[in-house]
Amino acid sequence: MTEDSVFIGLVSLIWIALAALYAFVPMFAMPGSAVVWGSGAAVFLVLAVIIAITERRMPQTLNRA
Amino acid sequence: MTNLSILQNLRELSAGDRMLLKALVSCALATLALGVIFGVSTALIRTGYAGAESQTGYRMMTGHGVAVFFYWLYFAQMALLMALSTTQSHGKVRIALAPVAWGGLLLMVLGFAASQTGTWTGTPLLYDGSPDLVGENKWQAGVFYAGYVLLACGLFLLAVSAIGTALAAKVRSDQRVWSTTGFAVVAWAGLLMVSSLATLNTFLPAAAWAFGWGEVPANHSTGWHLLFHNLHYLPLMGTVIIWYALVENMTGVGSIFGQRFSKGIFTLYLVFVPPTSLYHMFLEPDLSPVLRGLGSLLSLFISVPTIAVFLVIVSSLEANARARGARGLFGWLRLLPWQEPAMAAIAMAVANLALGGIFAFVLIQERLAPLLSDTFFVPAYFHFLTIGTVTLTLLAAFAWSMPALFNWPLWAPRLLKILPYTLTAGLVLFGVAGMAAGLNGMPRRVLDVSYDGTAPQLWTAMSPVIGLGAVVMALSLLLYVALLVGTAFGAGRRQAIVQPPLFILAATEGAAIRQKAWTAPLCVLVLVIGMYAATILTFALLRALPLASAAGGSH
Repeated sequence: MTEDSVFIGLVSLIWIALAALYAFVPMFAMPGSAVVWGSGAAVFLVLAVIIAITERRMPQTLNRA
Repeated sequence: MTNLSILQNLRELSAGDRMLLKALVSCALATLALGVIFGVSTALIRTGYAGAESQTGYRMMTGHGVAVFFYWLYFAQMALLMALSTTQSHGKVRIALAPVAWGGLLLMVLGFAASQTGTWTGTPLLYDGSPDLVGENKWQAGVFYAGYVLLACGLFLLAVSAIGTALAAKVRSDQRVWSTTGFAVVAWAGLLMVSSLATLNTFLPAAAWAFGWGEVPANHSTGWHLLFHNLHYLPLMGTVIIWYALVENMTGVGSIFGQRFSKGIFTLYLVFVPPTSLYHMFLEPDLSPVLRGLGSLLSLFISVPTIAVFLVIVSSLEANARARGARGLFGWLRLLPWQEPAMAAIAMAVANLALGGIFAFVLIQERLAPLLSDTFFVPAYFHFLTIGTVTLTLLAAFAWSMPALFNWPLWAPRLLKILPYTLTAGLVLFGVAGMAAGLNGMPRRVLDVSYDGTAPQLWTAMSPVIGLGAVVMALSLLLYVALLVGTAFGAGRRQAIVQPPLFILAATEGAAIRQKAWTAPLCVLVLVIGMYAATILTFALLRALPLASAAGGSH
């Protein structure tokens, strides 16, 4: 994995944590918050996975670059 | 990659891909022109210099907000997102998933048509489209909401294509990691996709209700706040990415802090989006005191990524200029490429961002938000951001890239260099007079503020200045659009295409890193002092007003 997939993956983890906070801590409850930030977390998770898979499939010569 | 990569890549695109970008640019300029005409009409009606039926006036106001804030900003961002996504290509340049991108563009165009149809045939709902205002005109409201739904789907598809383009370039290239711009484009596209989902979350239930397929949306207001929060961040993120890419292309100067650090700064945008959304809830009457305090604290972080990108860009430019011999505190500024119209626009965009940022911090404070949110203070300050910062930056990028895209030289580049200054002058008149009136209670979203002659004297005094500022601002924008449209049609063909000079500023990395670059930190210090001063002034003004609050537990 490169910094590209690591940074995007980090974003998805933070968004998952915040979506959980909005969903399960009553004080933070705002209608729709968990759905919006949760779907955002899913977007960035999928993106991080796609970037990581793309990097893994690159030729080994490039992986060593 | 050379410093001319954006322009070279645009020239090397296939005819079909260039057509896609040209179509996005054309739609952007058309919606900006229409939105500006609606906007200046609204300002003239508000200030009493033009007459219109109440319904027509509110339709102008709605048309202005929808055309500029949603369609101009997003057509333009999509054009530049797609253009920048190609910059990672080495060798053959092409846009991935082009049919998906064309589908996205078609949906956006249909969305714009639906939004305007709903506005001009039904109740003008203003750009947040509150179901409370719909009344009997439900199907027209449904068409209006459907416009936003189509826009969201279009943005999502274009973002997918942009990410696909950057990924395909990563696979084809001999570089394992994206450049900073390439990474930032993917992050920007990701936030666009999230914002599309937030748009659907807000307007899909409203559309279903308006067409008779569902219940009244119970949480439209909260959904709008969540969407609106994204819409604050998204254009600003795009703006600083464009600054970074354009400055790198115009001067050859990249970040002296290194690629990984710069990518981390762009990642901060995404990290700070969800937690800073709490301040949009300050008007909720039953918001707990703990959450109010936390929201206030977190709101301080909202400008951190933007300021960080500003520090990276300005410090890198200054260090390289000093390595090339620039002297004096501001002597390095003389080495910037001021012959480029885009440079003047970016400089004014930075100045306007500072002004808008200072007053944004006044507004988002927990004690001041309830007092100012429904006053003219809000449109007065946010035009510094939407027009003075974001729009000027997008226009700068168009002025930089259109000669390569359309194969014609810029039309009247000297005039294009002047217009950012006239636009800013109009903006200052509009903004300062509007904020003064807003601090004295002049309401926003109201067409007739004379109240049959009983309005405070200051409102009457400020109205002509607001109107004059709006006219200067609108004429500057319309002229800028006209010159860009002329460029697209070859009106500047008599002028030779001026090749941007190579590496005006870039020094060797070792020489640049050893230089002292204090301008950017000093600017941030001035910004912080300005925020404190504006807050103290606002509190003093509001305490001096002859107001007696009778508010209870609601607003």
